[in-house]
Amino acid sequence: MIEDLTGAIEITQRIEASPEIVFAYLTDSQRFVRWMGVGAELDARPGGRYRIDVDGVHIASGAYEIIDPPRRLVMSWGWEGHPTVPPGSTTVEITLTSDRGATVLKLRHLGLPGEGERRTHTEGWVQYLSQLAAAGGRH
Amino acid sequence: MPRMQAATRNTPIEAAMNAIANPRRRQILRLVWDTERSAGEIAATVDEVSWPAVSQNLRLLKDSGLITERREGTHRYYRADRRALGPLEAVLRQMWTRDLGRLRDLAEQEARSRKNRHD
Repeated sequence: MIEDLTGAIEITQRIEASPEIVFAYLTDSQRFVRWMGVGAELDARPGGRYRIDVDGVHIASGAYEIIDPPRRLVMSWGWEGHPTVPPGSTTVEITLTSDRGATVLKLRHLGLPGEGERRTHTEGWVQYLSQLAAAGGRH
Repeated sequence: MPRMQAATRNTPIEAAMNAIANPRRRQILRLVWDTERSAGEIAATVDEVSWPAVSQNLRLLKDSGLITERREGTHRYYRADRRALGPLEAVLRQMWTRDLGRLRDLAEQEARSRKNRHD
C-alpha cells in the first residue's frame, strides 16, 4: 500500500516474521546489505552514522536519531554529493507493529523537495548523474 | 510507442545512468539541454568519428527518454526532455518498494528456518 503525502513517501509492508527478526534486518550490517545496496556500514545506536553503497555509484548516508528496538527507527537520509538531497536533508522513519505473529512495517520518507523545487531538482538530478558517470569513468 | 514502454520499464535512474555512462552521449545531452538542434549540427559539434556512431547515441538517448526527436521533412531535431527522470518521489518510491520487498522475503525466510529448528 502506497500513499502520497506532501513531500513524503509512505509505504506499508506486512511481513510474516517477528518484529525482532525484522529489526535485525534494519540494523545489522550483514543482514541489511542482503536487501539494500551492495555495501553497508551501520553503527545503529543513537547518534551513530551509517553509509550505504546503494548501487556501486550512489552513496546514501546519515545518522540514527531514534533507535527503539524492535519498534521504531528514525534516521536522517541523503545522497553524498547530491545537489538537492544531501546527507541530513531528509528523514526516514520506520515503525514496526506486531500483528498476530507478523510485523506491519511502515516506512515514511519525509522532508523531500516540494513541487516548487521539482524543475530545479530534475536539473540537479541530471547534473548529479552526469558527475557520477564522469567520476565512474575515471576509475 | 513500444520503444518508450521498453525504456520506462527500467527505473528512471537506471535508464538515465545507462544513457549517460558514455562521454559522447553526455556531450550530446549538454548540447541539446536548452536548445533544440538538428542531427547535422550535433554531428558537427561532438567529437565522434562517424555519423553512424552519433546516430546510435542519439537513438539510445531517445530510447532512454532523455531527449525527444522531432522530424521535419528529411531533417531530425533533438532536445533534452528534462521531465524524463521524473520527480524524486517516483525514484525513491520505486527504490523503497523494491528493497522492502526483499527485506520481507529475507525476514520471512529466517522466521521459517528458526521455526523449523524449534519444531
